[in-house]
Amino acid sequence: MTAVLERTHASLGRVVGAEIRWVLRRPRTLVVLGLLALIPVAVAIGIAVAGRGGRGLIAQVAGNGFVLPVAALGLALTLLLPLAVASAAADAVAGEAGSGTLRGLLVAPVGRARFVVMKAAGVITVAVLAVAIIAVVGMIAGALVVGGPGSLITLSGTTLGVGEALGRIALVAAWTVGQLLAVGAVALAISTFTEHPLVVLACVLGGLIVFGVLGAIPALDWLQPLLLTSGFGAGTDVLRDPLPLDGLASSTLRALVYVVLGVGVTSWRMARRDG
Amino acid sequence: MSVTEEALQTRTDPSSGTGSEPAARLRDLRKTYGSVTAVDGVDLDLPAGAVVGLLGPNGSGKTTLIRMLLGLTPPTAGRVELLGHDGTQLERALPDVGALVEGPGFHPFLSGRDNLLRAAACEPRLDGDLRVPVDAALERVGLTDAARRRYRGYSLGMKQRLGLAAALLVPRRLVVLDEPTNGLDPAGTRDVRRVIAELHEAGTTVLLSSHLLAEVEAVCTHVAVLAKGSLLVSGELATLLASDGELALTVDDADRGLAALRAAGFQAYRRDDALAVTEVDPPAVVAALVHAGVGVWEVSRRRAHLEELFARLTEEDA
Repeated sequence: MTAVLERTHASLGRVVGAEIRWVLRRPRTLVVLGLLALIPVAVAIGIAVAGRGGRGLIAQVAGNGFVLPVAALGLALTLLLPLAVASAAADAVAGEAGSGTLRGLLVAPVGRARFVVMKAAGVITVAVLAVAIIAVVGMIAGALVVGGPGSLITLSGTTLGVGEALGRIALVAAWTVGQLLAVGAVALAISTFTEHPLVVLACVLGGLIVFGVLGAIPALDWLQPLLLTSGFGAGTDVLRDPLPLDGLASSTLRALVYVVLGVGVTSWRMARRDG
Repeated sequence: MSVTEEALQTRTDPSSGTGSEPAARLRDLRKTYGSVTAVDGVDLDLPAGAVVGLLGPNGSGKTTLIRMLLGLTPPTAGRVELLGHDGTQLERALPDVGALVEGPGFHPFLSGRDNLLRAAACEPRLDGDLRVPVDAALERVGLTDAARRRYRGYSLGMKQRLGLAAALLVPRRLVVLDEPTNGLDPAGTRDVRRVIAELHEAGTTVLLSSHLLAEVEAVCTHVAVLAKGSLLVSGELATLLASDGELALTVDDADRGLAALRAAGFQAYRRDDALAVTEVDPPAVVAALVHAGVGVWEVSRRRAHLEELFARLTEEDA
């Protein structure tokens, strides 16, 4: 009992556990995860209906089920996955402030540094679950609807066994989570400046579009290394043989820089923010 | 005013286990938002074990004062000391502080009980099975029956009760209640009054901000009145009300009596057929009348009500 009386904060494990339970019981999270699961299903159905033919990554899926999760993740990363993660980050701080629950957490007190850890844990949970759902549903849909030889035919024309194919899918999933954490960290930072979750979503959506436009202007080539979105295409590299790591590594490094910036601004702001 | 402040500072409550050290001390506290001054140099002590009513018109700085007290917003200048902790250490006092500030804040998609479980997980003073203190707090505010319903469907009164329950999750040393009876029905108001009485009995210091003066008069031992960010008066309620009383006099000739009293330098005025004098020294008042040859039929001392005190203070200021 003495230990309890001297304690100034609840155990981090319990606080993070409560946060993750809260994130997973929020209807919005569940709806978003459910909708993301439909992406690989929709692609699979599209391929099954259209049959073989056509060009590009989607066409590669035909008769090659293991490509489906990779294609679905690549498709979702352009907009839907970042929005799902941004929505979690928006609810994490701006949403709590808007519903009047932020001051309750600060008065408890959770501790302002621990608050950032707790909120980051919630955002990471959503990012991991969102990617995992697309990957798993993608594999199942790939096997059921598209079918395949039980192996992965790479873009380079070689064939990989089931074990290595699963490894490649795990790699692209982990890499996607990394890219999403960059979006999540920046969204969390924006979230600490407002009490309107929509502001966060609008900023992230606007940011993605602006980055996309800037990345498409040849005269602004020098900007490419700075833009998070310029590395979003690197995921399909896992379909090449031998595996080229340059794109995956540089985009992960860039994501890491965004994570550090985002978490830094979030911590700085939360140390001062009025509750 | 200096008399009442002295009374406030020297008061010790026998039911409090922490001695005469105040639960909170505010010194020259100031908060400005741009060119707007929300709180302007407030000095206030919350005596340990006291139930302090914080009064003031809308926009007088009550909530800003409470937010600074709880460390939710930093003061522009001045000092807050809470349960012996101040400045950057203020947070160390918070585990022993329960608060319902600016209305209850909960998540609509969770039940009242699940909302409290989430709050309980963040309470440093709780250990083990959190359902025990949560169910006890729900019982205490009379929400057991609605505990498993979604917060979304709660009435305003039920929301207030849940907010109160969150403040009572742990045995506290200080409980801050900002307008706790907002939206409550008479039964709810009675429940809040009972909870405050229980807290007082247990030696908990309570800071109650309210617009309901009768409510404050019924439960508070001390009051502090704010207007335009400044503290107008603070002190023990009984002392304040006694010093604000007046003398009601029935005399045979009210006009002559009034003239005589005013000539003798008293603040006197007509009230219907009787005279009223802002109390100073009853025998001197009667003597002045008798000397002037005015017959005095009846003299009574009227204890002021908080409502009058409040109206006088805030109107004077306006």
